[in-house]
Amino acid sequence: MFDLRSPLAKLIFFGTMAVMALFLFFPIFWMISTSLKSEGEIFVRIPTLLPQDWTLKNYINALTRDDIGVYLKNSLITAGSGAILTTALATYAAFSFAKYRYRGRMPMMYLMLSAQMFPFAVLLISLYPLLQSFGLLNTHLGLIISYIVFALPSATYMMYSYFANLPSDLIEAARADGAGDLTIIHKIILPLAIPGLVTVGLYAFMWAWNDLLYALTLISSKELRTIGPGLLLTHLGESRNDWGAAMAASLVGSVPVIVAFSILQRFFIQGLTAGAVKS
Amino acid sequence: MTTPAAAPIGPSRARRRALLKRAENRFGFLLAVPALIAFCVVILYPFLQAIWLSFYRVTIFAPEPKWVGFNNFITFLTDPSQLQAWGTTVMFVVVTTSVTFVLGLVWALLMDQSFRGRAIVRSASLLPWVLPSTVTAFLWTWLLNAQYGVLNAFLLQLGIIDEPVAWLSTPSGAMAGIVIAKTWLSIPLFMAFFLAGLQSLSRDQLEAARVDGATNFQALIHVVLPHLKHTMMVVLVLGAMGNLQQFDVIYAMTGGGPVGATNVLSIEVYRQAFQNWNLGMAATVGVMWFLTIAPPAFIYLRSLFKN
Repeated sequence: MFDLRSPLAKLIFFGTMAVMALFLFFPIFWMISTSLKSEGEIFVRIPTLLPQDWTLKNYINALTRDDIGVYLKNSLITAGSGAILTTALATYAAFSFAKYRYRGRMPMMYLMLSAQMFPFAVLLISLYPLLQSFGLLNTHLGLIISYIVFALPSATYMMYSYFANLPSDLIEAARADGAGDLTIIHKIILPLAIPGLVTVGLYAFMWAWNDLLYALTLISSKELRTIGPGLLLTHLGESRNDWGAAMAASLVGSVPVIVAFSILQRFFIQGLTAGAVKS
Repeated sequence: MTTPAAAPIGPSRARRRALLKRAENRFGFLLAVPALIAFCVVILYPFLQAIWLSFYRVTIFAPEPKWVGFNNFITFLTDPSQLQAWGTTVMFVVVTTSVTFVLGLVWALLMDQSFRGRAIVRSASLLPWVLPSTVTAFLWTWLLNAQYGVLNAFLLQLGIIDEPVAWLSTPSGAMAGIVIAKTWLSIPLFMAFFLAGLQSLSRDQLEAARVDGATNFQALIHVVLPHLKHTMMVVLVLGAMGNLQQFDVIYAMTGGGPVGATNVLSIEVYRQAFQNWNLGMAATVGVMWFLTIAPPAFIYLRSLFKN
């Protein structure tokens, strides 16, 4: 876009990039560097960029002393199930809104979309006693159901814009061949919608994986804790000042989302921004 | 639901077709039912109940709801600490959203240019956004550590400051800290939206401007930015809504302190509800919060529906 043939333009372009890159990437570099340093190297006024004495002690501490394995497992269960549940609900609803004509269809979708602006913390005030009355407080199932809150509205909209772009002729042709609507959805539409499903699934997964508020409030026993509150409550305690272990544990807790994201990001960015840039 | 293969007998073909359409559409509605039920149970009902609760006095000591009219709202509007939370929220949202907007746009413009290694830089720049919020909070608490934090070390070395700044333990430092952390975390998302917007910019239009002798700066002002108008609106509203919802990073970094300096509405609701167990008041704070979020969100949703 920019013409970078003049030296001045080049200087401005790459100078800005260097400053921004420092801001974006240095913190992550620092997290890795700190996690590999010994205590003596961490607590100095003017630290060195790279560890002088590499050590894995922080990782061993984080993995053995903390219950990080348990937290990871709990997060995988709740965020994974929450994402599958949300994606399934959103997909059928979005297909219904996009490809059928019945009264109240658009108002229902508008209402669902408006829910994006309901503050999550406020919904929790009523969700808490609601889950309590069903005996779902302090259970993974309760948390999974609550995770629908985060992503259902936007997931429905994302799938809706996906399905709206699929030609209706496809469905009509299959109907003419005598296929039932359920068969059409499962055999024809869903395979075509895999990139969309991946996007929405990952989106819902990330919301749940990154959540602190709901997990902190709805789960009280240590063995059911997910990664967010797990990390927070461990490193808020006596080891508040053990920054090496805190950084090591943070990195371990981030690995699953980073891996999932780096594999699927191509789909993801397209799907996420699809509805927003059409004009 | 299925197309009968039998030859037409009885009702006319058109009427049969209409009946069939109706059956199809009834089936279509059934597909939406599970999501609608889930929506009503976990989103709509809790929201309506929160509105209802805001007119009642309910605490852990008096669990029986007692109608108090607008009393909770009067309390909210006359209590300096709650008004402060409101002001803090507005300030946090406005500052964070505008800083992230500018930096996200700049980064997107840089990433739209082709240069060697762009694909890697582009993917890597999404990293801050995928980290769990607790991790982001830890990371920035450590970077901003008063005694051993690298930011202070850096500023001291450069001679910008003479003494370490106690970032998170002073009111303005803590505010700056959460703004920086949230900005860092959201730049990737803002960038992704802007990049998507830039991709639909027609190269011919740019070329034409170039041929007319436009400089980089002129092309940016007269061609690129006007093209991004719609994207900018989306990013602003989604960004502001996201920042207004923000709880995790702030709570983990400062817990709303020191002395309430970073006590935004999300934290105030949490504290009223789950620390004071004053559910009526928590709901009232929530309703006031919703009224703050509603106007920009409404504008955004209306433009979504128009498309």
